[in-house]
Amino acid sequence: MLSRFGAFLRSSIGKKSLMAFTGLLLILFLIAHVVGNLSLYADGDGAKFNAYAAQLEALGPLKLAAELGLVILFGAHIALGMRTYLENREARPVRYKDLAPKGRRTLASMTMPVTGIVILVFLVIHIIDFRLADFSKQGLAALVIERLSHPLGAGIYFISMGFLGVHLWHAFQSLVQSLGFRHPAYLPAVKTVGMVLGVLIAALFATFPILCLMFKGQWPWN
Amino acid sequence: MSGGHDTHSHGLNLTLHVWRQKNAQDTGHFETYSLQGISEHCSFLEMLDQLNEQLLREGREPVAFDHDCREGICGSCSLVINGRAHGPDRETATCQLHMRRFHDGETIYIEPFRAKAFPVQRDLVTDRSAFDRIIAAGGFVSANTGSPQDANALPIPKEAADLAMDAAQCIGCGACVAACPNAAAMLFVGAKVSHLALLPQGQPERRKRVLAMVEQMDKEGFGNCGNIYECEAACPKGISVENIARMNREYLCASLTARPQGEAKGGF
Ligand code: FES
Repeated sequence: MLSRFGAFLRSSIGKKSLMAFTGLLLILFLIAHVVGNLSLYADGDGAKFNAYAAQLEALGPLKLAAELGLVILFGAHIALGMRTYLENREARPVRYKDLAPKGRRTLASMTMPVTGIVILVFLVIHIIDFRLADFSKQGLAALVIERLSHPLGAGIYFISMGFLGVHLWHAFQSLVQSLGFRHPAYLPAVKTVGMVLGVLIAALFATFPILCLMFKGQWPWN
Repeated sequence: MSGGHDTHSHGLNLTLHVWRQKNAQDTGHFETYSLQGISEHCSFLEMLDQLNEQLLREGREPVAFDHDCREGICGSCSLVINGRAHGPDRETATCQLHMRRFHDGETIYIEPFRAKAFPVQRDLVTDRSAFDRIIAAGGFVSANTGSPQDANALPIPKEAADLAMDAAQCIGCGACVAACPNAAAMLFVGAKVSHLALLPQGQPERRKRVLAMVEQMDKEGFGNCGNIYECEAACPKGISVENIARMNREYLCASLTARPQGEAKGGF
């Protein structure tokens, strides 16, 4: 049983399908994350956002389990991505002078390892910024606004979300293919949904650095 | 120099950068040749034939390249031309490529299919026997079917027959590997797995087949699919990447449900 699972994981299709499955769960996480973050816009003093954070905090061991799950998800997705990247380089030891497009590649599909690595670097910055920081005095909302009101902070977050958008542009239809669900009847829908979803998630996240930089938490609609 | 408009009478003058490599151990390099007066009506391989005649006249080694049928059915020809497997056209093998696709004065880079699993033997000739070993691992039906039976004895739905025929068009040239930024062989193996998985004759060995063929594919050192789909665009037979998705689900399904040999007893 175990050896069978091991053989599956070592196989190229096993690795790809696990990368696809973890990617799907990570997309779901991003949707939950960005929707939760939108509560920052609900009021001027960040009370709603802080209450949302406190709610998560109050889950106690459940929150810890969720975080552990995220570490496993991200860890597996990143490890598989790096492993396949290195294997793929090895699969063509002598490079072409210039491998020209035959017509199906996209910027997003060709740069998944690069955008992935940028997102990983961002992830480390992001965890140091908000997960490991001590915000017991001013509250999380104030910390977020402070960080993103600074041009450097806003710049890092905004650019990283650009890379996330490019990564997600390819991600959804790719994971559908990797998991073997492809059918001409719903292929156009999968492609459209994937692109719209990817851009929407990244764009919603990107509003935080832009609006924080512009309004420093004093939302004009409040 | 003749202008582009009168190439008809004078032919094309070309600068070729051709990959030359003595043997599998040699590191290889590009060599530059100029060719004059190539008719735009000749095929790409005929152009290489003329290059070789010129090299022989000069007492130099001709360029080694693979070819056989020269009509797009055997899968022998290869070449990456200006960075594109089988050249610039869709659904066209190198042997079907015409010189009218090139213009007078053009510089053309000619390389072998590059992949660890396709080692260069000499110049533009690669060893593509990795594909043969993948087929030998399970890309066949082992039941002896005897003499041909009545055409309608075995009913096959039209849709399955069409999809299987589409997959069976694969000529095993390896352009999918050559065009893949990751040097993956998923389109080839996907086509072979699909072709038999769709037909009733393929059912008894369906699970065993996909597991064995994918295992062999990985052993040969091909890369991992990134769903970039350049393979589909490079395939001289236009094989769809839908076959890769089918192989993925065949493999997932087989991994979950195949029984180890000799364990198919059932019961407790
Ligand atoms: S030489 Fe046979 S397919 Fe090109």
